[in-house]
Amino acid sequence: MTSWDQRISSFLWSPSQFLSCTTSETVLAEILDRLRDDKTNDNKKILLLSVISEHPTVLCPNTTAGEETAQELVSILNFTPQKSVSLKCHLMLAITNVLICTLCLLNQTKVAEEFLNFLYALIQDTNDHAGGPGLHSVRAIACECLREVEACQPGLLSQKLESLYHLKQQETTALHQSYSLLYTQALKSAIRILSQQLDVDSTKLRSVLAGNEGFAWAFFKRENSVKVAVPQLPTTLDFKELKSIMSLLLEESYLMTSPSQSTLLRGLVEMVAMVPGISPAIFKSQLLRLFGTTEVELMHATLFMKATFTDSLFTAEDEHFLLKRLVGMAQHPVLRIPEKLFYMDCILHFPENRPISSSGEEGLPVLITPQLTRSLFPTVFNDCTTMLCRLNLLCLVHLEANEEEDGKGLGYLIDHMMALLSIVGNHRSRETVVVSFRAIFIFLLHFNHMENLAERLVHRLRNLYSKNCHLAPNLINLVDRIQECLDDSVWSVRLLKALQRGIVEMPPSQLTLQSLGWHLKILSRVAQESQISQRVTICFLLDILVNSNLCEKRSWNVGAAILAVCRNLLQHPTLNQMFIQLADLLQHISRHYEDTDIQDHARFYYTLLTNLSLEKLAGILAKAPVGGQAKVRSLSSLSSITASEEPGNCLTILQAESCVLELVKIDKNGSQDAVQILEPETEIDIYKVYREQLKTLDSAAEVTLRYHLTHTKSTDPRFNRIFTICLHFEVDLLHYAEVKDITVPCLLRDRKPDEVSVTLQPYHPYPTTIRASAIFTTEDGQSWHTHLPDIKVSFPEIFLPVPLFPGTSPQCKQNLFDQLWGATSSGEPSTSEMSLFCFKTSSNAVADLIKKNFQSYVISQEEKRWKVLLFLPPRFHILLTFSEAEDAVEVSIATDNWELLPHVNSYLQTITAHCNAVS
Amino acid sequence: MSIRALWVITHDKGESVQVQFSRRYPSVEFRAKTFAGVHYVSVPEDCNFLPLLLSELGLADPDKPYVAARDDCSRQQRCPALELRVGSSGERTLWPVLTIVQGGIILACLPLIEVPPDPRPSLFSLASVSKGLALLCSLQSFLCGTGVKTPEPDVLVSRLATLPSVLMQVCPLGTPLDTFPQPGTLPGALVSGPGGAQKQPAWKTGVHRGRAVVSVALSEMVRSMQYGNQSKQDLWDVHGTVTCKCEVEGVLPNVTVTLSLPPNGSPLQDILVHPCVTSLDSSILTASSVEENDSSAFSGPYKFPFSPPLEPFRLCSYTSQVSVPPILGSYHLKSEDSHLKLNAVLKLHESVRNSFEYCDAHLPFFNRNLMGNVDIKVTSGQLEVSKEKNLIVWLIGQKFPKSREVTLEGTIHFSGHLAGPSDPMCTDLTAYIKLHFRIPDMTLSGCCVDQHSVQVYSSTKPRIVTTRELVSSTYYIWNSTGDAPVSSGPMLL
Repeated sequence: MTSWDQRISSFLWSPSQFLSCTTSETVLAEILDRLRDDKTNDNKKILLLSVISEHPTVLCPNTTAGEETAQELVSILNFTPQKSVSLKCHLMLAITNVLICTLCLLNQTKVAEEFLNFLYALIQDTNDHAGGPGLHSVRAIACECLREVEACQPGLLSQKLESLYHLKQQETTALHQSYSLLYTQALKSAIRILSQQLDVDSTKLRSVLAGNEGFAWAFFKRENSVKVAVPQLPTTLDFKELKSIMSLLLEESYLMTSPSQSTLLRGLVEMVAMVPGISPAIFKSQLLRLFGTTEVELMHATLFMKATFTDSLFTAEDEHFLLKRLVGMAQHPVLRIPEKLFYMDCILHFPENRPISSSGEEGLPVLITPQLTRSLFPTVFNDCTTMLCRLNLLCLVHLEANEEEDGKGLGYLIDHMMALLSIVGNHRSRETVVVSFRAIFIFLLHFNHMENLAERLVHRLRNLYSKNCHLAPNLINLVDRIQECLDDSVWSVRLLKALQRGIVEMPPSQLTLQSLGWHLKILSRVAQESQISQRVTICFLLDILVNSNLCEKRSWNVGAAILAVCRNLLQHPTLNQMFIQLADLLQHISRHYEDTDIQDHARFYYTLLTNLSLEKLAGILAKAPVGGQAKVRSLSSLSSITASEEPGNCLTILQAESCVLELVKIDKNGSQDAVQILEPETEIDIYKVYREQLKTLDSAAEVTLRYHLTHTKSTDPRFNRIFTICLHFEVDLLHYAEVKDITVPCLLRDRKPDEVSVTLQPYHPYPTTIRASAIFTTEDGQSWHTHLPDIKVSFPEIFLPVPLFPGTSPQCKQNLFDQLWGATSSGEPSTSEMSLFCFKTSSNAVADLIKKNFQSYVISQEEKRWKVLLFLPPRFHILLTFSEAEDAVEVSIATDNWELLPHVNSYLQTITAHCNAVS
Repeated sequence: MSIRALWVITHDKGESVQVQFSRRYPSVEFRAKTFAGVHYVSVPEDCNFLPLLLSELGLADPDKPYVAARDDCSRQQRCPALELRVGSSGERTLWPVLTIVQGGIILACLPLIEVPPDPRPSLFSLASVSKGLALLCSLQSFLCGTGVKTPEPDVLVSRLATLPSVLMQVCPLGTPLDTFPQPGTLPGALVSGPGGAQKQPAWKTGVHRGRAVVSVALSEMVRSMQYGNQSKQDLWDVHGTVTCKCEVEGVLPNVTVTLSLPPNGSPLQDILVHPCVTSLDSSILTASSVEENDSSAFSGPYKFPFSPPLEPFRLCSYTSQVSVPPILGSYHLKSEDSHLKLNAVLKLHESVRNSFEYCDAHLPFFNRNLMGNVDIKVTSGQLEVSKEKNLIVWLIGQKFPKSREVTLEGTIHFSGHLAGPSDPMCTDLTAYIKLHFRIPDMTLSGCCVDQHSVQVYSSTKPRIVTTRELVSSTYYIWNSTGDAPVSSGPMLL
């Protein structure tokens, strides 16, 4: 049994894996048991509570379970001693999470009501008058729980505003912050509810602010989507009281921590937005303090004010100031990188007073000029994300301002690209490469239309590739993405053309087998471009095949890569013009490439090329659309042999999310296959013969287990009909030999399940668990991988009858038994051991027990005495003698492998469990 | 304004990755589900979250040179929020996952989205994002301290052990209520207020009793890039921080610190202040580094009235543009066969106090063979060759000579066959001198805190301690004969 600490951490690592071998009820019951136990210390209890607190819906799948659990936790809380403050706090958090997440709160269950009353009673003790400082943290948590409850079910506290206000006023310890937040949250919901009602008047508003009633359970209307338009209260009401409440909250905001202050400010901004009768100018007194702040959440709250109130609170001057401030903060040496990145994002989404477009998409504010952002130019000294972020921003800036400043800024940006690429050329770190390609991608997204810049990049990348051909996948990825993002990307084609030229013009001395792999990848990609002439590619391929020893080198990978190029060429629209060259190439490969598989494929392509019309060829080679006919797909995958890295390729194996298949054990029907020894019975010493035969038996001793292969309960219709199922098994290789894969042609959900025989070959016949997985094909031709639930192999499943010739006489068997017994009891072999097991039972029950469990292994049966001989492959024996005494049954055990005894013992215990066994 | 989950992960260059701590907030998750409706994507289990995060951070499969999912050039690695593709086919995305990576430690959290999730809102429109960022930043200080170095493993373990109980106060139900305490100061129990009418600030856990002491430390960092090349502009700038520790009685005592500049001093820019500062004059915030200098701009005195928290805190920080770098250097390398001729001159500016705590120049020679025979003479200080044979350290010491100029001259032979470490910024003639120095009791901007200008409104007269210093930050002098990387955009547009 692993310790609780380990179990908890494995639960938290993956609750679903943890629960695959137990149930949530069991785990929950165990946890609750431990929590109730006085002997468990507080720290352990807190650890246990974290499981409930973090995964309430995993452990309590429905409201009833949630209710029961919450009730249990409440009673544990009631019995928790006063001094266990931390435990109490954790219990309250766990209860709150359970009540909210299992919908106990929404459904107004009794336990939820009682718990809320309990929390509310706790927070009445302002300044710790009654409970003393010891209960301070408990009160803090009670406030927080109530706030969370209100956040999850807005309006619940909306009829308690006066009472909450007074509590907030009375509290002078640091906890006043919690009360202020609680009050603000409740006030905000109350105003929102009010603003959604018709015929609201001043009296109604006053009565809401003076509310001192119970929880407003009736208010809940869960809004599934957030309303875009903010509802507003009519301007005619008397807002004097509300205004003074808000002013006081604002005044005291200084006493709050920054995170709480930002929560409060946002709450107040949202409220003022709903109350047009109160001017946003109420915030003016706080603005200057906030403009200078170093805290990111307070700056964000200020920008939120700007977005909400625009020119009713912020002048054009303020706007300019804020923008400058943001640019300054986006590169401030004292701030942290993520904060600076966030400010850069804020610049691109800056809430302008008079925005040109209101799409909410990334865009530059009008006031941002090249001059203002000159300190944000990316440099090679920046960390990766900062550099990319700055580059994106500056590309936008100089895209707009290009004409005004005669391209100096743009010139710098292109120089920066070149500097990055020269670092890539000097330094092969993966990160540098990836970041540089991302930078080029961003740059091209903005400037691909500027011929000279784009051309410079093409030139530089071609040079870079010629010395660093391992960049092929990065270049192909860049080309693909640029093509995806820009509808007509001349640039991609230009780069590919340049790369093609670079490769075909490369002096032969520079071509190595390794670099050739990369070049072929590039050429294969080039062959997909209809605008690029492919003749030079074919010449190049033919040239290297004819003029080098490539064909003799027999590399399947290179051959396959060449064929991949050919396959793309077969689909090229200018195929007509290069028909003869391609045919020559394929023929050359089919004749001279010294790998049969490659030859076959080349011949196949050759046949396709020379026998099919272009339309048909294109039809066959084109990839089937997703979900298309299985037939088309299989033809298409037939003609493609390359292990391409593209995702979505037919060769990709998809991973099923849950188990699709399972193996269900078929019960033994008595006739256990015995290992057979074809040796006629003679009068000679059976024991001696048997021992001799055992030696030759060695590898043949196997246990065959039979299962039905069926679908699991999951009902994904994609898997209703599956084909070519290959089952793969993983066994404990210390004790068992590897199990061979098993192939099943098909499995259809509406037909009867297939029978599968798993053959185990034990080295040591111990109970074990087999892990199984399967790869199969669905109707649409896709391949899938799934895990199967583990297969448990119990001890009796490894038993075999003693391997004797079928017609061996009972007398002979008994002889063998006695001699084996004799040998074992005299310590032959040395691993032999004897043991004894007793249990109480009635006499009929013994006979039944033996019949039920050992029928095929009984050697002899005299009155009240049975001899049972079990054979365990590869060559072990367990001999059992059952003798019935007056009030108990004695089982004498002899075995030639003492390590089996614990398993024998536990097996006997299991089967005699109902008979009060005494060992 | 809450977070759905929080993670602390450690790794060693993408290997031996471990979730050291994770916390989910199911009540926030409940709200996330309500807000997102059909667009809801649940937080994956840790065992699934980890590989997704590592792949997005580019740390997965460190031994594979190219992995499409990890290295795709269109992945938006340009904002602080990552997008994780969850599910087997990756069509659903978990966004925005905020991360901070420091050395082998990854901190991550998932803020709640409280606006319609489709089309994807901007980070700016999400209140929880800045909350999450602030939480991660403060968690980073709590776990790693304020330095750049990652803490020792045992220190980290002990800080992680206290994390659950600290989170109980900082963020019990997913809504951050406070920042993490500074490392070393364990979260003290909240102390009840004195019972008067004055409310206790939530950021102050108690009151100071005993002798009143106010310490104000002004620290300036100077950065410089010097190229000695007409086509590249030399750069230098300075930024300062004022750190205070105030041991003053009272619930909400008033203290004012005033920074002043010498006559003609260039104004302090980009001033950021601690939230405990009660009010600010608008003129203090006007100067900004992103604009042209305005000589008529406000140049002090800068008054910061505040009520201090108990622990030391950063009262304010600023940047400043100074007219000269404290040390002006030149560096020339000449490559001849297997050896390299060096010539370096460092000049201390006359306005700078000639009294260092330390002043060292580092001359690295990476991406080449190891140093063999080193024949170098210096006019002042001592030379050391590193054990790895790829770095020369010139210990200039506490003082420059009367001439305020030191030189280094000589040749190095590279003979070893072993290649040393690599650095993309230091290949062939692209080489630099990196200066490390600290000058106590001076600032480059001239900014100072006069003892008498610190005002404390309290019954007892406090002892007031003020200090200042100038420390080098990234201070490079590039070889003028090589191709040095540019470190800033064009100065004039």
